Amino acid sequence: MEQYPHVFSPGRIGPFETKNRIKYAATETNFPFSDGFVSDREVAYMEAQAKGGAAIVTTQGAYPDKKGEGRGFKGMMAIWDDRFIPGLARIADVIKKNGALSCIQILHCGREGGVDLDYCLMPSVVPQKLSYFKPPREMTKEDIGASLKDHIEAAKRAKAAGFDMIEISGIVGYLLSTFISRYTNKRADEYGGDIRNRCRLMVEVLQGIKAETGGMPVGVRLCGHELLDDRGGNSVDESIESFRIAEEAGADYLSVTIGWHESSQSVITRDVPMGHWLSVAEAVKKKVSIPVMMAFRQFTSDIPERAIAGNMIDFWEMCRPMIADPELPKKVAEGREEEIIPCVACNLCFSRLYYHQPIMCSVRPTVGHERELEWGYYGFKKASTKKRIAIVGSGPSGLQCGVVAAKRGHEVVIFEKNSITGGNINLASLVDEGAVELLRPIRTLEKECRRLGVEIRLGEESTPDIIKAGSFDAAVIATGATIRQYSDAENASCLTPADIMVKGQKPGERVAIIGGNGTGLGVAIFLLRQGDYRITIIEESGKIGRDVNPFYLWQYIRLMKTRKAAFFTNTGIERVEKGIVYLNGKKAGSFEADIIVAAVLEPEKKWRDLAAAKEVYFVGDAKRPRRLNNAIHDGYRLGMVI
Amino acid sequence: MIPKIDTELCTGCKSCIEVCPPLAIVVENEKAFIDPEFCEECGFCVAECIVNAIAIEFPSSTKK
Repeated sequence: MEQYPHVFSPGRIGPFETKNRIKYAATETNFPFSDGFVSDREVAYMEAQAKGGAAIVTTQGAYPDKKGEGRGFKGMMAIWDDRFIPGLARIADVIKKNGALSCIQILHCGREGGVDLDYCLMPSVVPQKLSYFKPPREMTKEDIGASLKDHIEAAKRAKAAGFDMIEISGIVGYLLSTFISRYTNKRADEYGGDIRNRCRLMVEVLQGIKAETGGMPVGVRLCGHELLDDRGGNSVDESIESFRIAEEAGADYLSVTIGWHESSQSVITRDVPMGHWLSVAEAVKKKVSIPVMMAFRQFTSDIPERAIAGNMIDFWEMCRPMIADPELPKKVAEGREEEIIPCVACNLCFSRLYYHQPIMCSVRPTVGHERELEWGYYGFKKASTKKRIAIVGSGPSGLQCGVVAAKRGHEVVIFEKNSITGGNINLASLVDEGAVELLRPIRTLEKECRRLGVEIRLGEESTPDIIKAGSFDAAVIATGATIRQYSDAENASCLTPADIMVKGQKPGERVAIIGGNGTGLGVAIFLLRQGDYRITIIEESGKIGRDVNPFYLWQYIRLMKTRKAAFFTNTGIERVEKGIVYLNGKKAGSFEADIIVAAVLEPEKKWRDLAAAKEVYFVGDAKRPRRLNNAIHDGYRLGMVI
Repeated sequence: MIPKIDTELCTGCKSCIEVCPPLAIVVENEKAFIDPEFCEECGFCVAECIVNAIAIEFPSSTKK
């Protein structure tokens, strides 16, 4: 706490003094039911957030209209009828009971709404490129009046449910933002035109809520920089003016956000340096005198500490870092920062929402299972029989399995052939700017293993015989994937990703990469950042980057296309011979390359059919090559039952 | 939620296989099947299916 005096100093929002400057920001989960009712799962998730030590805990956005025009997610919470009040009250209670201020967000998803309808509502018909969303319908004056009333009625229910404060959201393409943005508001009436007119609905909602709730504190979340310059979006000055208008209309705090879902610039991925967007919040703060807050890539506490000290923001908001670890505030306060489960900005949580699935977290498998005892969020029950467990490999799956098994009372030894832990994450961490963040959860897991007394034997390659001799009850094979080889006997084999990325082999100009999944793309991106290469990626399926999160894939594809990489999909390898790749399938034929990189992963083979221990399990890529989240989840789930 | 495949509607076109990150879908006798052991419940296959044969049964408060 001494290290972060500003983060842990009291703050003020409206009539409330806050215990610190941390706010868990509104985050959709898809945990509520399809009819908008709050589920036990959502309450348990919010309870964990409330127990974590943030001063203010915000609910996910609740949609305020009966038809569901405002509903942007199948599992979005509703607040359009009194029947929702008891469920909402459970969340308010659980937040307040755990010593935080409760804030409920009212959210009409606008351009991203109407998830079960065949249209969405907007001030003007401006179609968008994202196919996920519904075709827009222009709102009539009656529609606008009805929506205003919906918002106000929703706020009254929020008050009845017992919340301390209310937040309204006009960001990323949600209803209020589509009015505020020049890009989507082409109206000729009093709701369109200059920025003041475009802010009219936001102002009416805000003032209406204030008037009808007896002056409850109301915060407003708006976009500080739309990043829609290529489509005629607001200038930064206009955006900043919208915050000033919100203050003038009576807002009690302002939350500054960046970007729309349609922006063609990365906002929250690892390539964006932490704290990058704070200057936008600072620009808002200079113009207003009410508290200003921001989330967006502030993953470590030194960043908000400096920003609060430097008068850029008043409050530190978090979504993803607290999905990954709700106890982040508490751990920072207690000087236990190295115990924080760190978000790696993989955006698995976010991307799942649009496919109607509840959020998941790569680094915290317990998300959505906080009150299910076997998941051990609040601690594990000891296993009935204490086992001696050998884990072969200290990548994410091995380390995570070690942590959970040790927490359940087992004696765990991890064998690692290299001198450091992390397995293939060490490679992945080299791919591009920011990828080094992927090592953060490895360090956390390694330290946790050591705290729990797990023995990590570095530099010790293990074999079935060694395990057999060690009289273990269980062996967990977490050795990672192997690389499929293509060369015949008389030729040197293809290079592996490690040859290029770790051993630093400099390929000639023409590079063939066999395999267009994450591994192959990782090598391509790595190379293109080093110099000019003519890259051809050969992929047997029809899709490049099947296992890469959409948030990153579009960036990678864009970079590769700009740099003239060729993609041969539905194309297989006939053979590789003397620098020539012979292909079958769609691009049947052959071509010459200066270097050929094999990047198709296969499960572990050496350890099959073994009797090294009474029980033998496979986790992570050794079981089947997949992604970081699968490795960690495999390890965790095995640890729960072993 | 693991998506459900309507085998009446499924044409066995394999487009779901192409987008499945963990390769959890197999097609046998022109029908797709999801291996629950590997399904990571991402929903990509649902969005990809052109004949709407794959769906997620989102739980409601009345029918869990």
